[in-house]
Amino acid sequence: MTNIAVGVFNILLVLLAAPLLDGFLRKVRARIHSRQGPPVLQSYYDLAKLMVKEDQRGANNFIFNAAPVACLGSVLLAALFVPMGGVVPLGFAGDILVLVYILTLAPIFMCLGGMASGSPYAYVGVSREIMLLMVVEPVLAVALISTAIKANSLVLVNCIDRYVSSPPDISLIIGAIAFFLILQPEISKVPFDLAEAEQEIMEGPLIEYSGRKLALLKWSMYSKQIVLIALFAGAFVPWPRTGFLLLNIVIALIKILIFAVLVEVIAQVFPRLKISQAIRYFAIVIAVALTGLVLAVMDL
Amino acid sequence: MNSENVIAAINERCPGAIVSSTQPLPTRLFLTVNKANMPEVADYLFNSAKARLVVSAGTDKSPINGTYEVSYIFSLDQDQLMVAVKEIVDPADPRVPSLTNIIPGADWHEREMRDLMGIVPEGHPDPRRLVVSDDWPEDVYPLRKDFPYNYKPPRVTEIKPPMREPKENEKQATVLSIGPFFPTLEEGAYFRLYVEGEQIIGSDYRGFYAHRGIEKLTETVLDYNQVPFMAERICGICGFVHSATYCQAVESAAEIEIPPRAKYIRSIMLELERIHSHLLWLGLAVHYLGFDTVLMQTWRIREPLMWLTEQITGNRKTYGMNLVGGVRRDIDAETAGKILKTLEKIEAEAKDLIAAAAEDNSIKMRLENVGTLSKEDARKICVVGPTARASGVAIDTRKDHPYLAYPDLDFKIAVQQGCDIWARTLVRAEELFTSISLIRQMIDKMPAGGIMADYGPIPPWREGIGASEAPRGECAHYVITGPDNRPYRWRVRASTYPQLQSIPKMLDKMSIADFPIIVGSIDPCFSCTERVIAVDTRSKNIRTYTQQELLAMSHRNFGQGRRS
Repeated sequence: MTNIAVGVFNILLVLLAAPLLDGFLRKVRARIHSRQGPPVLQSYYDLAKLMVKEDQRGANNFIFNAAPVACLGSVLLAALFVPMGGVVPLGFAGDILVLVYILTLAPIFMCLGGMASGSPYAYVGVSREIMLLMVVEPVLAVALISTAIKANSLVLVNCIDRYVSSPPDISLIIGAIAFFLILQPEISKVPFDLAEAEQEIMEGPLIEYSGRKLALLKWSMYSKQIVLIALFAGAFVPWPRTGFLLLNIVIALIKILIFAVLVEVIAQVFPRLKISQAIRYFAIVIAVALTGLVLAVMDL
Repeated sequence: MNSENVIAAINERCPGAIVSSTQPLPTRLFLTVNKANMPEVADYLFNSAKARLVVSAGTDKSPINGTYEVSYIFSLDQDQLMVAVKEIVDPADPRVPSLTNIIPGADWHEREMRDLMGIVPEGHPDPRRLVVSDDWPEDVYPLRKDFPYNYKPPRVTEIKPPMREPKENEKQATVLSIGPFFPTLEEGAYFRLYVEGEQIIGSDYRGFYAHRGIEKLTETVLDYNQVPFMAERICGICGFVHSATYCQAVESAAEIEIPPRAKYIRSIMLELERIHSHLLWLGLAVHYLGFDTVLMQTWRIREPLMWLTEQITGNRKTYGMNLVGGVRRDIDAETAGKILKTLEKIEAEAKDLIAAAAEDNSIKMRLENVGTLSKEDARKICVVGPTARASGVAIDTRKDHPYLAYPDLDFKIAVQQGCDIWARTLVRAEELFTSISLIRQMIDKMPAGGIMADYGPIPPWREGIGASEAPRGECAHYVITGPDNRPYRWRVRASTYPQLQSIPKMLDKMSIADFPIIVGSIDPCFSCTERVIAVDTRSKNIRTYTQQELLAMSHRNFGQGRRS
């Protein structure tokens, strides 16, 4: 029963707060630019506008039409595995492994939709996205598995509990840093928003989408932003933890806000990298994450 | 090398080539040569004398003497000399030997001549359509004098852009169409890229979508002093340089000496325009890299300059200051003080920003060894301005062909040897501060006196060449004065014209991610200022907003006007 309630809470939080977080980040971005910026609610307005706009039917095949729904769906499914204030609605033995797979689903569905559109810009975007996934996802997996090894459990909540109860180990700190470094590409922020790169390939896989489908894809991107930052905040920076669920939730939300602003600031002080440069960079991050894993195995 | 040397050398190499020669000014030499000798003369000028092709123009003189004239204008940059070489063409047989095989930079000039004048460059390696639109009939040539300016050719239904056939290695490649309307390029331009994975292996270009027939309009309906305002509208970013260069060309043709104060005011405006343009470019360049923080900061720094020019001229852009013989508004002591104050602020802020950007390795990483144009290619394609200077070609019209106030001023031209976009960025950054120093010098030395020369009717059939250094490089205008108080022929060569021809070289072997910044690195001059048209989808009514309505809307939307 509690699980269902927490599950509903997680999904609603992700769906409803995601545009708000994005609107807030747009305000932050504007401040860094010395601009006024749009209203905080602008991302809701954008989604509402897209919802009622005509769908131009950039392509008409099953994959193209189904991809936005599947994309948003997989992000929401991932939300059920992510602790927002300590409780995980869909926690079971091995949920860490499932989470790693589910997190990969959203970009894969977006890529499939892009491929199905047949646009050459989408092809370029998809090929970049896949290349990035191949260097970014291992980091995510390795970082999560490091914590699992330390906790000797494949249940995310147990790992977090172990993390909270003892002083941080060097391997976990390395894992946290590596995870933080992949937030940028995971949520499509400069310098690693290569797959969408508006100035180069006009949002790549999204190029042929319009109307409601574009709204769903945008919404799933906003949602993914909140899910991943929540995962980072919940699993790698689990402090402070209190005995009260409500207070824990408030703390979790504040942490999400802080890390989101941090990610946005990083996005605003770098130019976009090229795919070759990005891959070179993540090769180093993978090496760092693997070092963390080795240290975790050595129980450091 | 002076003009006598040039004539002597040509006479020695191909005796009898020169039919006649005149030299109205020490810096301008006009030669008429036999059509058959033209390639030899061009070969001598380009390859031996190391001259640079500036512009070429075809003129229809058939109503006057039954001939067409084709002029190629060369610049001997080291010798402050411009040489115009003219050949006479029979309208019954409008063919000339093509010079493109000798001077690659003549490519577009000759294709333009074919499109607009119907003069066929024989032996041109790539005689595709360049200027006129895809649906324009084959045998209608708009710049011929028997073509009425308001003629509308019949519509055709099938339109196909004149793109080249893919080369052998490009046949298997993916075709990526960028344009005609691509969000990153503000103007209509069509690049067809052949890509393998991320790598560009070939490219093709179709432009001139915004060809507005300005030259034709000038030759038929405007008068001498209306043209500056038309000229200023050629470009929305560096329009002033066009009106100033036009005036310079007419003044040199009519031998009008403009008052020293007017010279200074024009130069000050030119330099203010350069500062605003370079800041605009810097912002756009980083925007192409997705680095919008620097974009917004550069444009914030630039904004006071726009207010300043509005105070001086009444307009943020399109100043409307120039007339043949001088300028329309004076710069008084109070305004000069404001200029200095604004410059001080811009200098301090730009210094900080550029220092921060220069230290940023990630920007350098994206710009170094990207979009390279070798010194040799730069000379062959005759590129100008920062694009040339970043490839080690030390040309700057302000030094090479000093005009207006520049002979009195002390400055160095910025040259870099890097040949890549990073070098172009460094050149522009340095020029920004050079411009600020130039304006300070000019305000310091500003002579007193009138701002408008007295002159009588402008005599017909004189030729004038105007050249000034626009922010993007040398801007050249060629004018033949006419009998009806208007130019008989006016040919404009904007600085982007040669630069765009160098784009295929820069794109070769680069990645798609580099495309926007490479095209952006030549600072392509986009120009289109049209009125907004709104279509009501229910009633299908087209509504054109007037300027008042647009202003009212903009004031409503941006509640606090900036004019306090």
